[in-house]
Amino acid sequence: MFLPDFDYHAPETLAEACDLVRDLGPSAKVLAGGTDLLIKLKHGLVTPTAVISLKALDELKTITHVPGRGVVIGARATHNDLVNSPLLHERFLSVSEAAHKLANNQVRNRGTVGGNLVNAIPSADLPPILIALDAWITLVGSNTSRTVPLHSFFTGPSCCVIDPVDEILTEIVLPDQQTTGSTYLKFALRRSGALSVTGVAVAVTMDGDTIVDSRICLGAVFPVPVRANDAEDLLRGKTWSDELLAEAGEAASCCALPITDIRGTAEYRLDLVRVLTKRALKRAITEGHV
Amino acid sequence: MKREYVNIGGRLPRVDGMVKAAGEAMYTGDLSLPGMLHGKLLRSPHPHARLLKVDTAPALTLEGVRAVITGEDTLKFLAGGIASPGNEPYLAFEKVRFVGDAVAAVAAVDEETAERALALIDVEYELLDPVLDPFAAMAPGSPLVHDDAPGNISFETDLSFGNAQRAFATCDYVRYDEFKTAPIRHGFIEPHAALASWDTSGRLTFWGSKQSPYFTYRNMAKALDIPMSKVRIMQSYLGGGFGGKNEMFNLDFCAALLSMKTRRPVRIVVSQEEVLYAYRQRHPAWIKLQSGFMKDGTLVAVDAEIVAEGGAYKGIGALSLYLMCTFLALPYRVANLRAKGCRVYTNTQPSCAMRGHGVPQVRYAAEVQLDMAARELGLDPLEIRLKNAIQSGDTTGNGFEITSCGLSETLLEARGIVERWRGETPADSEPHLKRGIGVASYGYLSGPRMAGHNTSAALIKVHEDGRVGLVTGSTDCGQGSDTVLSQIAAEVLGIHLDDVQYGGMDSEIVPLDPGVFGSRVTFITGNAVKWAAEDVRAQLAGVAAGLLDAEPDDLEFRDRRVFVRDEPDRGLPFAKLVKSAQYSGTGMTILGRGYWAPEDIDLPRFDTGMGNQSGAYSFGTQVAEVEVDTETGRVKVLRLAVSHDCGQPINEMLVEGQLEGSSIGGIGHTFTETIQRRRGQTMNASFLEYRMPTALDACPVEVTHTDTVDEMGPFGAKESGEGVQVAVMPALVSAVHDAVGVWFKEVPITPEVVVEALGRGAEAAQNADARRGADARRDSRDDGRSRDGESA
Ligand SMILES: Cc1cc2nc3c(=O)[nH]c(=O)nc-3n(C[C@H](O)[C@H](O)[C@H](O)COP(=O)(O)OP(=O)(O)OC[C@H]3O[C@@H](n4cnc5c(N)ncnc54)[C@H](O)[C@@H]3O)c2cc1C
Repeated sequence: MFLPDFDYHAPETLAEACDLVRDLGPSAKVLAGGTDLLIKLKHGLVTPTAVISLKALDELKTITHVPGRGVVIGARATHNDLVNSPLLHERFLSVSEAAHKLANNQVRNRGTVGGNLVNAIPSADLPPILIALDAWITLVGSNTSRTVPLHSFFTGPSCCVIDPVDEILTEIVLPDQQTTGSTYLKFALRRSGALSVTGVAVAVTMDGDTIVDSRICLGAVFPVPVRANDAEDLLRGKTWSDELLAEAGEAASCCALPITDIRGTAEYRLDLVRVLTKRALKRAITEGHV
Repeated sequence: MKREYVNIGGRLPRVDGMVKAAGEAMYTGDLSLPGMLHGKLLRSPHPHARLLKVDTAPALTLEGVRAVITGEDTLKFLAGGIASPGNEPYLAFEKVRFVGDAVAAVAAVDEETAERALALIDVEYELLDPVLDPFAAMAPGSPLVHDDAPGNISFETDLSFGNAQRAFATCDYVRYDEFKTAPIRHGFIEPHAALASWDTSGRLTFWGSKQSPYFTYRNMAKALDIPMSKVRIMQSYLGGGFGGKNEMFNLDFCAALLSMKTRRPVRIVVSQEEVLYAYRQRHPAWIKLQSGFMKDGTLVAVDAEIVAEGGAYKGIGALSLYLMCTFLALPYRVANLRAKGCRVYTNTQPSCAMRGHGVPQVRYAAEVQLDMAARELGLDPLEIRLKNAIQSGDTTGNGFEITSCGLSETLLEARGIVERWRGETPADSEPHLKRGIGVASYGYLSGPRMAGHNTSAALIKVHEDGRVGLVTGSTDCGQGSDTVLSQIAAEVLGIHLDDVQYGGMDSEIVPLDPGVFGSRVTFITGNAVKWAAEDVRAQLAGVAAGLLDAEPDDLEFRDRRVFVRDEPDRGLPFAKLVKSAQYSGTGMTILGRGYWAPEDIDLPRFDTGMGNQSGAYSFGTQVAEVEVDTETGRVKVLRLAVSHDCGQPINEMLVEGQLEGSSIGGIGHTFTETIQRRRGQTMNASFLEYRMPTALDACPVEVTHTDTVDEMGPFGAKESGEGVQVAVMPALVSAVHDAVGVWFKEVPITPEVVVEALGRGAEAAQNADARRGADARRDSRDDGRSRDGESA
């Protein structure tokens, strides 16, 4: 339960950070808020000889709107930065609300968006809503920079496409979009400080009562956050009704492949997918980005 | 008759509030001494294994390691045991009996080195089949946790009065149900901590985190085989206990022995994870309950078979089992009772006392069954309780003497609350949201009589500026007893609460006292403090009588003055009187001494449950309102109310704190908390996954005082610490039934359990409505046993 010894670096610039990541290779780990990494270090689950902290890179902490790109969230923004961002309140309150459902206040003060994504656990709370809003991310290496749609970022539990010996996640971009509503519903076994049993995010584009398009992303019911394509297809172009949304919930449950663990059985998680999908859709349709 | 008091009854702020809020209060883990070493315990990863070899040599070679001890370095003292000798070694020898059982301990220059040393201790185990379920444990041929306990029976209680079997035949209605409760945790935030310092004179100074420091004092002397005069127990602040810090534990012993070996102070602070998997839990219980009633709701007979999982060791489990059985006799009149209890060993962490001590488990079963019966008989749940409520002057069949009792008043109060809430509750807002209200009542004791030493004691030292110092052996584990006891001293001496300084625990000066358990402190220690303060007052009155030319009996102590009653001008300031007493003539040393325990209380008969257990009993009724989401199974507790009789509250705010804490704790016990184990391993040994309610899960708690005045209690006070934990679970379970028409006979009721019971999807809400409707339509039946159709 003690931190092992390691070299500690706190580079002043992104370029310096990327060089360190490349030079130190697999023996190094990037540190953001540390709410995942420090626990793993203490339990001996990872044993880096060096830790590269991003704490001096203030440029990775901003949340701004860049015309033509969308809302750009720095990877080091903490969950509470998201919770308190006037820009997000104005454009995507649903993202602020999702961040607010995560962990507890202490963890939200330290934990970052970047850490939540790169950590890549299936029950993480931010991926579903960001994927539903069609976010993409920027990965910067010592000599490279690439953008990746978030929905293709995750490859398995604790696995993602980032090159751990060369890349740093720098930003998350929520593109300007036609969606008219979005929301994330989290079901956990306590109101605060509990990991999701199941989480469902949706974003819809409505034309009157017609669902022009929708994106539905399920959390904690598949090795990675997963789009409920069947449900999306079922809804496209239809006039919404409670029955239709219930059908969509049913269809979404067919896209999930949950496991049984100490938080719930696979069967119960499927129940939750049905219920939460239906409710999330109704909320996004009737209340906008909430 | 209620009287007017200055320091009693109001809402005075806690005396330890500021230092705690400012973060200045020092807990045992905050203390350190020059040259101090840090200790850690090596724990068994296996639920059941024979120890073949414990080789400490490799650990001793690590730089910074100063000592390593194993069971072989100890005198093999066996701790625990009430009613029969204990069987828990502080460090295992021969066998380990649960995952977390301590095998060795290390002292090193820092915690990190100590932890690294643990990994170097070479332990060879021969794995034995574990017994992980009490029923399997009792089956013939099951492996034995203790060789001298055949059938893995730890203790048995068989309580019987009247003739339940015969009485059932005369009943209009008899029902039988089986209930089950979960293993749960105390949930204190300060982990177990110990600091021990041994010196060459052979004296051990020990700082612990103990509800009952004198239990540790006694066991420490025995386990180390040193005179009690050589054990000095100290303690400052305590970060919660709830029954989980009564006993002396392995870390306390190891800190002392390691200090003895190294001649350096040794501190051990265990992690919260260790607390959660390697220390105590509440007894999970399986309760088979049969109750018989007359048509009008009169409770005629009760028959119970209780199996309590004791875990690996005896501890104080005999008392737990005894309380489970005897509290079927309270809080309702019943002429025929048979309660057979069996505590069973398994290879899991040991069970012990926890707030309510055994009583919440059985009363959950009994209260819920009472509600079931009420529905079947077409009676209102409050009516059936009023019909059977025990009254002051009653003596239960096993001998509990009820000297003061406001149970019926609390029920009438609760009726008003239920009516008001029903009026305020809107119709179900959405088809999948169902609301319901439930009630349950409780009775509890104000300090159990223990087999051994039972007397609380207090000392008051008077300072020359008119302020006083007060010490007792009862510790404040957060419940506020430092404040309550100080208020009692201030009231008797006619000074202000500010004038009383409550001292910490130090066995050098503080008299022997059993400490904090069984809701005994206000009632028993409170009387001792009252007596000590009266002793001071009598000494000072003697002096004042001379100075004022009056009779001591005519003097009144009030508002920092002493004066002749009815002649307030003939008097002098308290401080001046003290100075006169101390400075004139030979000069007096004014020390007040008090000790008290209720007289004529029977020694407990743990095997038969007979005898009066306590000097007074508290009562109350809990009301709960919930909203059930039939689709996700989530139950939201909307509000709770408690109407209670704790005699005269010494401090209304602290009583409310107890009621609120208990109520919110009960939300966790009913809906979220349970220790999850797989093959003896705890899967949720963290506060992230062992889910106690947070502030966001809490709800408003309405409190009404319907107080009696208990003749024996200090200023008429009785307990209000544990009783209030007893009725929360059944009130909530009954509210859930009211909402969705399902009786849950097993807690916790997780969302998944609710969904399983109601069926899935839209049909769940219809099922709930149908079940609720069926309940409303059901008429009273005039015969026979009920079906279990609507239960889960
Ligand atoms: C008590 C508790 C409760 C929690 N509850 C929740 C919850 O309800 N929901 C939830 O989703 N999570 C929860 N978490 C998990 C955690 O807090 C979040 O995942 C958090 O967002 C992680 O961010 P961090 O900055 O602390 O990451 P860190 O621990 O610093 O890093 C996590 C991983 O990401 C890598 N990394 C971080 N930033 C970057 C970057 N910019 N580029 C490349 N790699 C990077 C690190 O190398 C590491 O492997 C909880 C954690 C705790 C301790």
